Amino acid sequence: MSQTIKVDTLIKTFQVPEREAGLKAAVGSLFKRKYREVEAVKKISFGIDAGEIVGFLGPNGAGKTTTLKMLAGLLFPTSGQIDVLGYEPQRREKELLRQITIVMGQRNQLMWDIPALDSFELQRAIYQIPEGEFRRMRDELIDLLSMGDLVKKPVRNLSLGERMKAEFISALLHRPKVLFLDEPTIGLDVTAQRLIREFVAAYNQRYQASVMLTSHYMADVQALCKRVIVIHHGQLLYDGGLAGLVEKFAAYKTIGVTLNDPDLDLSEYGEIISNSKGQVNLRVPKNATAQITTRLLNEVAISDLTIEDPAIDSIIEQVFQQEAQVV
Amino acid sequence: MVYVRLFWIFLRVSVISEFQYRVNFFVQLFQSALALGTGLVAMSLVFSYTQNLAGWTQPELLAVMGVHIIVGGLIKTIIQPNMNRLIEDIQEGTLDFALTKPADAQAIISVREFRIWQLIDLVLGSVVLGYAISQLSTSLGWLSALAFAAAVLLGGLMIYSVWLMLSVGAFWIIRADNFLEIFDSLYQAGRWPVSIYPGWLKHTLTFVLPIAFAVTLPAETLARQLNGQNLLFAVGLTILLLVVSRLFWRFGLRHYTGASA
Repeated sequence: MSQTIKVDTLIKTFQVPEREAGLKAAVGSLFKRKYREVEAVKKISFGIDAGEIVGFLGPNGAGKTTTLKMLAGLLFPTSGQIDVLGYEPQRREKELLRQITIVMGQRNQLMWDIPALDSFELQRAIYQIPEGEFRRMRDELIDLLSMGDLVKKPVRNLSLGERMKAEFISALLHRPKVLFLDEPTIGLDVTAQRLIREFVAAYNQRYQASVMLTSHYMADVQALCKRVIVIHHGQLLYDGGLAGLVEKFAAYKTIGVTLNDPDLDLSEYGEIISNSKGQVNLRVPKNATAQITTRLLNEVAISDLTIEDPAIDSIIEQVFQQEAQVV
Repeated sequence: MVYVRLFWIFLRVSVISEFQYRVNFFVQLFQSALALGTGLVAMSLVFSYTQNLAGWTQPELLAVMGVHIIVGGLIKTIIQPNMNRLIEDIQEGTLDFALTKPADAQAIISVREFRIWQLIDLVLGSVVLGYAISQLSTSLGWLSALAFAAAVLLGGLMIYSVWLMLSVGAFWIIRADNFLEIFDSLYQAGRWPVSIYPGWLKHTLTFVLPIAFAVTLPAETLARQLNGQNLLFAVGLTILLLVVSRLFWRFGLRHYTGASA
Protein backbone atom coordinates (compact mmCIF):
# COMPACT_ATOMS: atom_id res chain seq x y z
CA MET A 1 0.00 0.00 0.00
CA SER A 2 1.31 3.47 -0.78
CA GLN A 3 2.20 5.95 1.90
CA THR A 4 0.31 9.22 1.83
CA ILE A 5 2.21 10.88 4.67
CA LYS A 6 5.93 10.58 5.30
CA VAL A 7 7.66 12.42 8.10
CA ASP A 8 11.42 12.21 8.54
CA THR A 9 13.33 13.56 11.56
CA LEU A 10 10.99 16.50 11.92
CA ILE A 11 12.05 19.26 14.28
CA LYS A 12 10.23 22.44 15.24
CA THR A 13 11.64 24.99 17.62
CA PHE A 14 9.85 28.14 18.70
CA GLN A 15 11.37 31.37 19.89
CA VAL A 16 9.48 32.19 23.01
CA PRO A 17 9.83 35.58 24.68
CA GLU A 18 10.95 35.04 28.20
CA ARG A 19 10.15 37.31 31.04
CA GLU A 20 9.64 37.18 34.71
CA ALA A 21 6.36 37.91 36.41
CA GLY A 22 5.65 41.35 37.78
CA LEU A 23 5.17 44.88 36.55
CA LYS A 24 8.83 45.81 36.43
CA ALA A 25 9.69 42.87 34.21
CA ALA A 26 6.68 43.61 32.00
CA VAL A 27 7.82 47.19 31.44
CA GLY A 28 11.38 46.04 30.86
CA SER A 29 10.27 43.57 28.21
CA LEU A 30 8.82 46.43 26.19
CA PHE A 31 12.32 47.47 25.29
CA LYS A 32 14.53 44.46 25.67
CA ARG A 33 13.21 41.02 25.10
CA LYS A 34 14.96 37.83 25.98
CA TYR A 35 14.14 34.82 23.90
CA ARG A 36 14.30 31.21 24.80
CA GLU A 37 14.26 28.36 22.32
CA VAL A 38 11.62 25.76 22.93
CA GLU A 39 11.77 22.49 21.06
CA ALA A 40 8.14 21.61 20.47
CA VAL A 41 8.85 18.66 18.18
CA LYS A 42 12.07 16.69 18.43
CA LYS A 43 13.12 14.43 15.57
CA ILE A 44 9.86 12.69 14.87
CA SER A 45 9.58 10.19 12.02
CA PHE A 46 6.64 8.12 10.86
CA GLY A 47 4.65 7.16 7.80
CA ILE A 48 0.94 6.71 7.18
CA ASP A 49 -0.64 4.56 4.48
CA ALA A 50 -3.58 5.36 2.28
CA GLY A 51 -6.78 4.29 3.99
CA GLU A 52 -5.23 4.17 7.42
CA ILE A 53 -6.71 5.84 10.52
CA VAL A 54 -4.03 6.71 13.02
CA GLY A 55 -4.63 8.01 16.53
CA PHE A 56 -2.22 10.74 17.50
CA LEU A 57 -1.96 10.77 21.26
CA GLY A 58 -0.19 12.84 23.83
CA PRO A 59 -0.98 15.13 26.75
CA ASN A 60 -1.60 18.84 26.22
CA GLY A 61 1.56 20.54 25.02
CA ALA A 62 3.12 17.31 23.75
CA GLY A 63 3.52 18.71 20.24
CA LYS A 64 0.46 17.11 18.62
CA THR A 65 -1.08 20.28 17.26
CA THR A 66 2.31 21.62 16.17
CA THR A 67 2.92 18.44 14.19
CA LEU A 68 -0.55 18.49 12.65
CA LYS A 69 -0.07 22.12 11.65
CA MET A 70 3.20 21.33 9.95
CA LEU A 71 1.55 18.46 8.08
CA ALA A 72 -1.21 20.81 6.93
CA GLY A 73 1.33 23.39 5.77
CA LEU A 74 0.44 25.97 8.40
CA LEU A 75 3.83 25.97 10.10
CA PHE A 76 7.30 25.84 8.63
CA PRO A 77 9.38 22.99 10.06
CA THR A 78 12.69 24.04 11.59
CA SER A 79 14.29 21.03 9.97
CA GLY A 80 13.40 17.59 8.66
CA GLN A 81 11.28 16.39 5.76
CA ILE A 82 7.52 16.16 5.35
CA ASP A 83 5.88 14.60 2.35
CA VAL A 84 2.10 14.60 2.00
CA LEU A 85 0.76 13.04 -1.22
CA GLY A 86 4.07 13.87 -2.86
CA TYR A 87 4.09 17.54 -1.86
CA GLU A 88 5.93 19.58 0.69
CA PRO A 89 3.06 21.03 2.74
CA GLN A 90 4.78 24.30 3.74
CA ARG A 91 4.85 25.32 0.08
CA ARG A 92 1.08 25.32 0.24
CA GLU A 93 0.55 24.28 -3.35
CA LYS A 94 -3.05 24.31 -4.52
CA GLU A 95 -2.80 20.75 -5.84
CA LEU A 96 -2.08 19.53 -2.32
CA LEU A 97 -4.55 21.79 -0.52
CA ARG A 98 -7.30 20.51 -2.79
CA GLN A 99 -6.72 16.99 -1.41
CA ILE A 100 -6.49 17.60 2.31
CA THR A 101 -8.79 18.91 4.97
CA ILE A 102 -8.58 20.02 8.56
CA VAL A 103 -11.35 19.79 11.14
CA MET A 104 -10.92 21.34 14.56
CA GLY A 105 -13.42 20.60 17.29
CA GLN A 106 -12.79 23.89 19.01
CA ARG A 107 -12.98 26.14 15.97
CA ASN A 108 -15.63 26.60 13.36
CA GLN A 109 -15.44 27.74 9.82
CA LEU A 110 -19.12 27.79 8.94
CA MET A 111 -20.70 31.20 8.91
CA TRP A 112 -22.73 31.81 11.98
CA ASP A 113 -25.72 33.69 10.62
CA ILE A 114 -26.54 31.76 7.49
CA PRO A 115 -27.64 28.18 6.82
CA ALA A 116 -24.85 25.65 6.37
CA LEU A 117 -26.19 25.01 2.88
CA ASP A 118 -25.11 28.50 1.82
CA SER A 119 -21.67 28.02 3.35
CA PHE A 120 -21.32 24.84 1.31
CA GLU A 121 -21.67 26.91 -1.87
CA LEU A 122 -18.70 28.92 -0.72
CA GLN A 123 -16.65 25.75 -0.38
CA ARG A 124 -17.71 24.74 -3.87
CA ALA A 125 -16.42 28.01 -5.28
CA ILE A 126 -13.14 27.86 -3.37
CA TYR A 127 -12.42 24.25 -4.29
CA GLN A 128 -13.88 24.66 -7.78
CA ILE A 129 -15.93 21.49 -7.50
CA PRO A 130 -18.02 20.77 -10.61
CA GLU A 131 -21.75 21.29 -9.96
CA GLY A 132 -22.87 17.67 -10.43
CA GLU A 133 -20.08 16.21 -8.34
CA PHE A 134 -20.72 18.79 -5.65
CA ARG A 135 -24.41 17.97 -5.37
CA ARG A 136 -23.78 14.24 -5.27
CA MET A 137 -21.14 14.55 -2.57
CA ARG A 138 -23.13 17.06 -0.54
CA ASP A 139 -26.28 14.94 -0.52
CA GLU A 140 -24.29 11.83 0.26
CA LEU A 141 -22.66 13.48 3.27
CA ILE A 142 -25.93 14.98 4.50
CA ASP A 143 -27.40 11.51 4.26
CA LEU A 144 -24.48 9.78 6.01
CA LEU A 145 -24.79 12.19 8.93
CA SER A 146 -28.60 12.20 8.81
CA MET A 147 -28.63 15.99 8.81
CA GLY A 148 -31.73 16.30 6.62
CA ASP A 149 -33.24 19.78 6.61
CA LEU A 150 -31.00 20.97 9.44
CA VAL A 151 -28.60 22.30 6.82
CA LYS A 152 -31.24 24.88 5.94
CA LYS A 153 -31.28 26.39 9.42
CA PRO A 154 -28.89 29.20 10.35
CA VAL A 155 -25.84 27.65 11.97
CA ARG A 156 -26.31 29.63 15.17
CA ASN A 157 -29.62 27.79 15.76
CA LEU A 158 -27.97 24.36 15.64
CA SER A 159 -26.89 22.35 18.66
CA LEU A 160 -23.18 21.75 19.20
CA GLY A 161 -23.42 18.24 17.78
CA GLU A 162 -25.38 19.35 14.73
CA ARG A 163 -22.92 22.15 14.11
CA MET A 164 -20.01 19.72 14.21
CA LYS A 165 -21.75 17.47 11.72
CA ALA A 166 -22.26 20.43 9.41
CA GLU A 167 -18.57 21.32 9.84
CA PHE A 168 -17.67 17.81 8.72
CA ILE A 169 -19.83 18.05 5.61
CA SER A 170 -18.29 21.38 4.72
CA ALA A 171 -14.77 20.05 5.24
CA LEU A 172 -15.28 16.94 3.11
CA LEU A 173 -17.20 18.30 0.11
CA HIS A 174 -14.05 18.26 -2.00
CA ARG A 175 -13.49 14.60 -1.15
CA PRO A 176 -10.06 14.95 0.49
CA LYS A 177 -7.60 12.05 0.59
CA VAL A 178 -5.99 13.16 3.82
CA LEU A 179 -7.94 14.26 6.90
CA PHE A 180 -6.46 16.01 9.92
CA LEU A 181 -8.96 15.83 12.75
CA ASP A 182 -8.00 17.77 15.85
CA GLU A 183 -10.29 16.85 18.76
CA PRO A 184 -13.35 16.56 16.51
CA THR A 185 -15.64 15.24 19.23
CA ILE A 186 -14.69 17.62 22.02
CA GLY A 187 -17.64 18.76 24.10
CA LEU A 188 -20.16 16.56 22.29
CA ASP A 189 -22.60 14.26 24.01
CA VAL A 190 -22.14 10.51 23.79
CA THR A 191 -24.62 10.02 20.95
CA ALA A 192 -23.13 12.76 18.81
CA GLN A 193 -19.64 11.41 19.49
CA ARG A 194 -20.67 7.97 18.31
CA LEU A 195 -22.29 9.39 15.19
CA ILE A 196 -19.16 11.34 14.27
CA ARG A 197 -17.03 8.25 14.87
CA GLU A 198 -19.20 6.09 12.64
CA PHE A 199 -19.15 8.78 10.02
CA VAL A 200 -15.36 9.06 9.99
CA ALA A 201 -15.10 5.27 9.70
CA ALA A 202 -17.60 5.24 6.82
CA TYR A 203 -15.83 8.03 4.94
CA ASN A 204 -12.48 6.33 5.44
CA GLN A 205 -13.83 3.04 4.08
CA ARG A 206 -15.60 4.57 1.14
CA TYR A 207 -12.81 6.81 -0.10
CA GLN A 208 -9.71 5.09 1.29
CA ALA A 209 -8.67 8.35 2.92
CA SER A 210 -5.84 8.62 5.43
CA VAL A 211 -6.97 10.04 8.75
CA MET A 212 -4.88 11.49 11.55
CA LEU A 213 -6.96 11.89 14.65
CA THR A 214 -6.14 13.55 17.93
CA SER A 215 -8.59 13.08 20.72
CA HIS A 216 -8.71 13.02 24.46
CA TYR A 217 -11.53 10.52 24.31
CA MET A 218 -10.13 7.02 24.30
CA ALA A 219 -13.46 5.75 23.02
CA ASP A 220 -12.77 7.63 19.76
CA VAL A 221 -9.36 6.07 19.45
CA GLN A 222 -10.51 2.57 20.33
CA ALA A 223 -13.39 2.70 17.89
CA LEU A 224 -11.42 4.10 14.96
CA CYS A 225 -7.69 3.51 15.21
CA LYS A 226 -5.89 0.22 14.79
CA ARG A 227 -2.66 2.11 15.11
CA VAL A 228 -1.60 4.87 17.46
CA ILE A 229 1.34 7.23 17.60
CA VAL A 230 2.12 8.53 21.06
CA ILE A 231 4.23 11.63 21.53
CA HIS A 232 5.29 13.29 24.71
CA HIS A 233 7.57 16.30 25.23
CA GLY A 234 7.91 16.43 21.46
CA GLN A 235 9.34 12.93 21.22
CA LEU A 236 7.88 9.82 19.71
CA LEU A 237 7.19 7.35 22.50
CA TYR A 238 5.30 4.67 20.66
CA ASP A 239 4.16 3.86 17.14
CA GLY A 240 2.20 0.69 16.59
CA GLY A 241 -0.99 -1.24 17.22
CA LEU A 242 -3.35 -0.21 19.95
CA ALA A 243 -3.08 -3.71 21.47
CA GLY A 244 0.71 -3.42 21.48
CA LEU A 245 0.45 -0.19 23.46
CA VAL A 246 -1.29 -2.09 26.23
CA GLU A 247 1.28 -4.87 25.96
CA LYS A 248 4.19 -2.50 26.14
CA PHE A 249 3.13 -0.02 28.75
CA ALA A 250 0.75 -1.86 31.04
CA ALA A 251 2.90 -2.93 33.93
CA TYR A 252 -0.03 -4.46 35.79
CA LYS A 253 -2.98 -6.70 35.24
CA THR A 254 -6.19 -6.88 37.17
CA ILE A 255 -7.28 -10.20 38.64
CA GLY A 256 -10.94 -10.35 39.63
CA VAL A 257 -12.00 -13.11 42.01
CA THR A 258 -15.31 -14.10 43.56
CA LEU A 259 -14.69 -15.57 47.02
CA ASN A 260 -16.75 -18.23 48.71
CA ASP A 261 -15.88 -16.58 52.04
CA PRO A 262 -16.40 -12.80 51.65
CA ASP A 263 -14.35 -11.98 54.76
CA LEU A 264 -11.09 -13.44 53.49
CA ASP A 265 -8.16 -11.02 53.25
CA LEU A 266 -6.27 -11.21 49.91
CA SER A 267 -3.84 -8.35 50.45
CA GLU A 268 -0.85 -10.72 50.55
CA TYR A 269 -1.51 -11.61 46.86
CA GLY A 270 -1.64 -8.10 45.42
CA GLU A 271 -2.97 -4.58 45.83
CA ILE A 272 -6.70 -4.58 46.47
CA ILE A 273 -8.39 -2.07 44.16
CA SER A 274 -11.96 -2.88 45.16
CA ASN A 275 -13.80 -5.28 47.42
CA SER A 276 -17.53 -5.65 47.64
CA LYS A 277 -19.19 -8.67 49.21
CA GLY A 278 -16.51 -11.08 48.15
CA GLN A 279 -16.02 -9.56 44.64
CA VAL A 280 -12.35 -8.57 44.89
CA ASN A 281 -10.20 -6.84 42.25
CA LEU A 282 -6.47 -7.20 42.67
CA ARG A 283 -3.73 -5.30 40.89
CA VAL A 284 -0.68 -7.47 40.27
CA PRO A 285 2.57 -6.97 38.36
CA LYS A 286 2.15 -8.26 34.83
CA ASN A 287 5.03 -10.75 34.92
CA ALA A 288 3.77 -12.25 38.18
CA THR A 289 0.21 -12.76 36.94
CA ALA A 290 0.52 -16.46 36.16
CA GLN A 291 2.23 -17.27 39.42
CA ILE A 292 -0.26 -15.36 41.56
CA THR A 293 -3.19 -16.89 39.71
CA THR A 294 -1.87 -20.37 40.40
CA ARG A 295 -1.40 -19.56 44.08
CA LEU A 296 -4.91 -18.13 44.35
CA LEU A 297 -6.46 -21.19 42.76
CA ASN A 298 -4.49 -23.54 45.01
CA GLU A 299 -4.76 -21.71 48.31
CA VAL A 300 -8.14 -19.94 48.33
CA ALA A 301 -11.70 -21.16 47.85
CA ILE A 302 -12.82 -19.27 44.72
CA SER A 303 -15.98 -19.58 42.66
CA ASP A 304 -14.82 -17.41 39.75
CA LEU A 305 -11.63 -15.77 38.45
CA THR A 306 -10.93 -13.31 35.61
CA ILE A 307 -7.73 -11.65 34.33
CA GLU A 308 -7.97 -8.27 32.60
CA ASP A 309 -5.74 -5.61 31.17
CA PRO A 310 -6.27 -2.20 32.67
CA ALA A 311 -8.43 0.29 30.75
CA ILE A 312 -6.61 2.05 27.93
CA ASP A 313 -7.04 5.55 29.35
CA SER A 314 -5.44 4.55 32.61
CA ILE A 315 -2.48 3.11 30.71
CA ILE A 316 -2.08 6.27 28.69
CA GLU A 317 -2.29 8.35 31.81
CA GLN A 318 0.31 6.18 33.45
CA VAL A 319 2.66 6.46 30.47
CA PHE A 320 2.47 10.25 30.51
CA GLN A 321 3.08 10.38 34.24
CA GLN A 322 6.06 8.08 34.07
CA GLU A 323 7.71 10.10 31.36
CA ALA A 324 7.08 13.34 33.16
CA GLN A 325 8.97 11.99 36.13
CA VAL A 326 11.90 10.82 34.04
CA VAL A 327 12.39 14.11 32.18
CA MET B 1 -12.32 34.04 -13.37
CA VAL B 2 -12.37 32.17 -10.09
CA TYR B 3 -11.74 35.15 -7.86
CA VAL B 4 -14.54 37.23 -9.34
CA ARG B 5 -16.90 34.35 -8.60
CA LEU B 6 -15.56 34.04 -5.08
CA PHE B 7 -16.08 37.76 -4.59
CA TRP B 8 -19.71 37.49 -5.67
CA ILE B 9 -20.44 34.49 -3.51
CA PHE B 10 -18.92 36.12 -0.45
CA LEU B 11 -20.92 39.24 -1.23
CA ARG B 12 -24.11 37.25 -1.60
CA VAL B 13 -23.55 35.39 1.64
CA SER B 14 -22.77 38.63 3.48
CA VAL B 15 -25.93 40.23 2.18
CA ILE B 16 -27.97 37.26 3.38
CA SER B 17 -26.54 37.49 6.87
CA GLU B 18 -26.69 41.29 7.04
CA PHE B 19 -30.37 41.26 6.22
CA GLN B 20 -30.97 39.37 9.43
CA TYR B 21 -29.90 42.44 11.33
CA ARG B 22 -32.13 45.08 9.79
CA VAL B 23 -31.94 47.26 12.88
CA ASN B 24 -28.36 47.97 11.90
CA PHE B 25 -29.66 49.78 8.86
CA PHE B 26 -31.45 52.35 10.97
CA VAL B 27 -28.62 52.66 13.45
CA GLN B 28 -26.25 53.28 10.57
CA LEU B 29 -28.60 55.79 8.97
CA PHE B 30 -28.80 57.74 12.21
CA GLN B 31 -25.04 57.60 12.74
CA SER B 32 -24.26 58.75 9.20
CA ALA B 33 -26.76 61.60 9.33
CA LEU B 34 -25.30 62.74 12.64
CA ALA B 35 -21.75 62.69 11.26
CA LEU B 36 -22.84 64.63 8.19
CA GLY B 37 -24.68 67.19 10.32
CA THR B 38 -21.69 67.90 12.57
CA GLY B 39 -19.42 68.12 9.52
CA LEU B 40 -21.67 70.70 7.87
CA VAL B 41 -21.91 72.76 11.06
CA ALA B 42 -18.12 72.83 11.43
CA MET B 43 -17.74 73.94 7.84
CA SER B 44 -20.32 76.72 8.08
CA LEU B 45 -18.55 77.92 11.22
CA VAL B 46 -15.28 78.21 9.32
CA PHE B 47 -16.91 80.07 6.45
CA SER B 48 -18.68 82.51 8.74
CA TYR B 49 -15.21 83.98 9.36
CA THR B 50 -13.53 83.68 5.96
CA GLN B 51 -14.37 83.22 2.30
CA ASN B 52 -11.65 80.74 1.60
CA LEU B 53 -9.47 78.31 3.49
CA ALA B 54 -5.89 78.04 2.22
CA GLY B 55 -7.16 78.69 -1.29
CA TRP B 56 -10.18 76.38 -1.10
CA THR B 57 -13.64 77.84 -1.60
CA GLN B 58 -16.68 76.56 0.22
CA PRO B 59 -18.09 74.40 -2.63
CA GLU B 60 -14.63 72.93 -3.16
CA LEU B 61 -14.38 72.02 0.50
CA LEU B 62 -17.86 70.58 0.35
CA ALA B 63 -16.68 68.38 -2.51
CA VAL B 64 -13.75 67.19 -0.38
CA MET B 65 -16.19 66.38 2.40
CA GLY B 66 -18.42 64.45 0.00
CA VAL B 67 -15.49 62.39 -1.23
CA HIS B 68 -14.37 61.86 2.34
CA ILE B 69 -17.75 60.40 3.21
CA ILE B 70 -17.83 58.23 0.06
CA VAL B 71 -14.34 56.81 0.57
CA GLY B 72 -15.02 56.38 4.29
CA GLY B 73 -18.15 54.40 3.38
CA LEU B 74 -16.16 52.16 1.05
CA ILE B 75 -13.57 51.57 3.74
CA LYS B 76 -16.21 50.63 6.27
CA THR B 77 -18.05 48.41 3.78
CA ILE B 78 -15.14 46.30 2.62
CA ILE B 79 -11.70 47.12 3.97
CA GLN B 80 -12.33 47.56 7.68
CA PRO B 81 -14.55 44.49 8.25
CA ASN B 82 -12.14 42.21 6.41
CA MET B 83 -9.10 43.52 8.21
CA ASN B 84 -10.83 43.25 11.59
CA ARG B 85 -11.76 39.69 10.75
CA LEU B 86 -8.16 38.96 9.79
CA ILE B 87 -6.87 40.21 13.13
CA GLU B 88 -9.57 38.25 14.94
CA ASP B 89 -8.65 35.11 12.99
CA ILE B 90 -4.98 35.55 13.82
CA GLN B 91 -5.80 35.94 17.49
CA GLU B 92 -8.11 32.95 17.61
CA GLY B 93 -6.27 30.64 15.26
CA THR B 94 -9.17 30.38 12.82
CA LEU B 95 -6.93 31.76 10.09
CA ASP B 96 -5.89 28.11 9.66
CA PHE B 97 -9.05 27.57 7.65
CA ALA B 98 -8.27 30.32 5.17
CA LEU B 99 -4.68 29.16 4.84
CA THR B 100 -5.57 25.56 4.02
CA LYS B 101 -7.77 26.49 1.06
CA PRO B 102 -6.59 25.93 -2.51
CA ALA B 103 -7.00 29.59 -3.39
CA ASP B 104 -4.88 32.63 -2.80
CA ALA B 105 -5.13 33.27 0.94
CA GLN B 106 -4.72 37.03 0.57
CA ALA B 107 -7.61 37.13 -1.88
CA ILE B 108 -9.80 35.14 0.49
CA ILE B 109 -9.07 37.20 3.57
CA SER B 110 -9.66 40.42 1.65
CA VAL B 111 -13.21 39.75 0.45
CA ARG B 112 -14.83 37.65 3.15
CA GLU B 113 -16.90 40.35 4.82
CA PHE B 114 -19.17 43.08 3.57
CA ARG B 115 -21.07 45.53 5.74
CA ILE B 116 -23.66 46.58 3.25
CA TRP B 117 -25.47 49.01 5.54
CA GLN B 118 -22.32 51.14 5.51
CA LEU B 119 -23.14 51.88 1.89
CA ILE B 120 -25.53 54.51 3.25
CA ASP B 121 -22.44 56.70 3.46
CA LEU B 122 -21.89 56.16 -0.23
CA VAL B 123 -25.34 57.58 -0.94
CA LEU B 124 -25.02 60.48 1.50
CA GLY B 125 -21.54 61.32 0.26
CA SER B 126 -22.73 61.31 -3.34
CA VAL B 127 -25.53 63.73 -2.46
CA VAL B 128 -23.08 66.10 -0.77
CA LEU B 129 -20.67 65.80 -3.68
CA GLY B 130 -23.45 66.35 -6.24
CA TYR B 131 -24.61 69.48 -4.45
CA ALA B 132 -21.03 70.79 -4.20
CA ILE B 133 -20.49 70.32 -7.92
CA SER B 134 -23.72 72.13 -8.76
CA GLN B 135 -22.39 75.12 -6.78
CA LEU B 136 -19.13 75.16 -8.69
CA SER B 137 -18.66 77.33 -11.76
CA THR B 138 -16.78 74.69 -13.71
CA SER B 139 -18.73 72.24 -15.81
CA LEU B 140 -18.02 68.56 -15.55
CA GLY B 141 -16.83 66.49 -18.50
CA TRP B 142 -16.72 62.75 -19.01
CA LEU B 143 -12.99 62.80 -18.70
CA SER B 144 -12.96 64.26 -15.22
CA ALA B 145 -15.74 61.90 -14.12
CA LEU B 146 -13.64 58.98 -15.31
CA ALA B 147 -10.52 60.40 -13.69
CA PHE B 148 -12.51 60.79 -10.48
CA ALA B 149 -13.60 57.16 -10.50
CA ALA B 150 -10.03 56.06 -11.19
CA ALA B 151 -8.71 58.27 -8.38
CA VAL B 152 -11.21 56.82 -5.88
CA LEU B 153 -10.32 53.28 -6.94
CA LEU B 154 -6.58 53.96 -6.63
CA GLY B 155 -7.11 55.62 -3.27
CA GLY B 156 -9.11 52.64 -2.05
CA LEU B 157 -6.39 50.22 -3.13
CA MET B 158 -3.72 52.29 -1.39
CA ILE B 159 -5.67 52.37 1.84
CA TYR B 160 -6.27 48.65 1.55
CA SER B 161 -2.54 48.01 1.17
CA VAL B 162 -1.59 50.15 4.15
CA TRP B 163 -4.32 48.64 6.27
CA LEU B 164 -3.25 45.13 5.31
CA MET B 165 0.30 45.86 6.38
CA LEU B 166 -0.92 47.18 9.73
CA SER B 167 -3.12 44.12 10.23
CA VAL B 168 -0.32 41.73 9.32
CA GLY B 169 1.45 43.24 12.34
CA ALA B 170 -0.89 40.99 14.32
CA PHE B 171 1.28 38.03 13.32
CA TRP B 172 3.87 39.38 15.73
CA ILE B 173 2.08 41.49 18.28
CA ILE B 174 -1.34 39.77 18.28
CA ARG B 175 -3.11 42.88 19.63
CA ALA B 176 -3.06 44.96 16.44
CA ASP B 177 -6.38 46.64 17.20
CA ASN B 178 -4.65 49.74 18.53
CA PHE B 179 -2.89 50.34 15.23
CA LEU B 180 -6.19 50.55 13.47
CA GLU B 181 -7.52 53.16 15.82
CA ILE B 182 -4.63 55.41 14.89
CA PHE B 183 -5.63 54.95 11.29
CA ASP B 184 -9.20 55.87 12.04
CA SER B 185 -8.35 59.14 13.77
CA LEU B 186 -5.96 60.11 11.00
CA TYR B 187 -8.64 59.37 8.45
CA GLN B 188 -10.81 61.96 10.18
CA ALA B 189 -8.16 64.52 9.26
CA GLY B 190 -8.92 63.80 5.60
CA ARG B 191 -12.21 65.67 5.90
CA TRP B 192 -10.21 68.80 5.04
CA PRO B 193 -7.87 69.06 2.07
CA VAL B 194 -4.43 67.91 3.20
CA SER B 195 -2.82 71.08 1.82
CA ILE B 196 -4.20 73.07 4.75
CA TYR B 197 -2.15 71.10 7.25
CA PRO B 198 1.42 71.84 8.42
CA GLY B 199 4.22 70.07 6.58
CA TRP B 200 4.83 67.04 8.79
CA LEU B 201 1.16 66.14 8.98
CA LYS B 202 0.69 66.80 5.28
CA HIS B 203 3.49 64.37 4.43
CA THR B 204 2.16 61.75 6.81
CA LEU B 205 -1.28 62.02 5.25
CA THR B 206 0.19 61.81 1.79
CA PHE B 207 2.77 59.08 1.94
CA VAL B 208 2.39 57.12 5.16
CA LEU B 209 -1.38 56.88 5.19
CA PRO B 210 -2.24 57.90 1.66
CA ILE B 211 -5.32 59.92 2.54
CA ALA B 212 -4.22 62.75 0.29
CA PHE B 213 -4.48 60.34 -2.61
CA ALA B 214 -7.66 58.69 -1.43
CA VAL B 215 -9.67 61.83 -0.68
CA THR B 216 -8.06 65.08 -1.71
CA LEU B 217 -6.93 63.94 -5.14
CA PRO B 218 -10.32 62.59 -6.29
CA ALA B 219 -11.99 65.76 -5.03
CA GLU B 220 -9.44 67.84 -6.87
CA THR B 221 -10.03 66.08 -10.16
CA LEU B 222 -13.70 66.99 -9.88
CA ALA B 223 -13.76 70.38 -8.20
CA ARG B 224 -10.64 71.91 -9.70
CA GLN B 225 -8.98 70.54 -12.73
CA LEU B 226 -7.64 67.20 -13.69
CA ASN B 227 -3.97 66.97 -12.85
CA GLY B 228 -2.63 64.17 -15.04
CA GLN B 229 0.72 64.16 -13.33
CA ASN B 230 -0.77 63.57 -9.89
CA LEU B 231 -2.98 60.82 -11.20
CA LEU B 232 -0.04 59.10 -12.83
CA PHE B 233 1.88 59.39 -9.60
CA ALA B 234 -1.09 57.81 -7.80
CA VAL B 235 -0.99 54.86 -10.21
CA GLY B 236 2.69 54.34 -9.47
CA LEU B 237 2.24 54.60 -5.72
CA THR B 238 -0.71 52.20 -5.79
CA ILE B 239 1.29 49.56 -7.62
CA LEU B 240 4.19 50.01 -5.24
CA LEU B 241 1.99 49.70 -2.17
CA LEU B 242 0.19 46.64 -3.54
CA VAL B 243 3.49 44.89 -4.18
CA VAL B 244 5.02 45.85 -0.85
CA SER B 245 1.93 44.83 1.13
CA ARG B 246 1.81 41.50 -0.72
CA LEU B 247 5.44 40.82 0.14
CA PHE B 248 4.82 41.83 3.74
CA TRP B 249 1.79 39.54 3.94
CA ARG B 250 3.84 36.59 2.73
CA PHE B 251 6.63 37.47 5.11
CA GLY B 252 4.10 37.63 7.94
CA LEU B 253 2.69 34.21 7.06
CA ARG B 254 6.06 32.65 7.74
CA HIS B 255 5.77 33.94 11.26
CA TYR B 256 2.25 32.76 11.78
CA THR B 257 2.18 30.20 14.53
CA GLY B 258 -1.53 30.19 15.12
CA ALA B 259 -3.15 30.24 18.51
CA SER B 260 -2.57 26.76 19.88
CA ALA B 261 -5.60 24.69 20.73
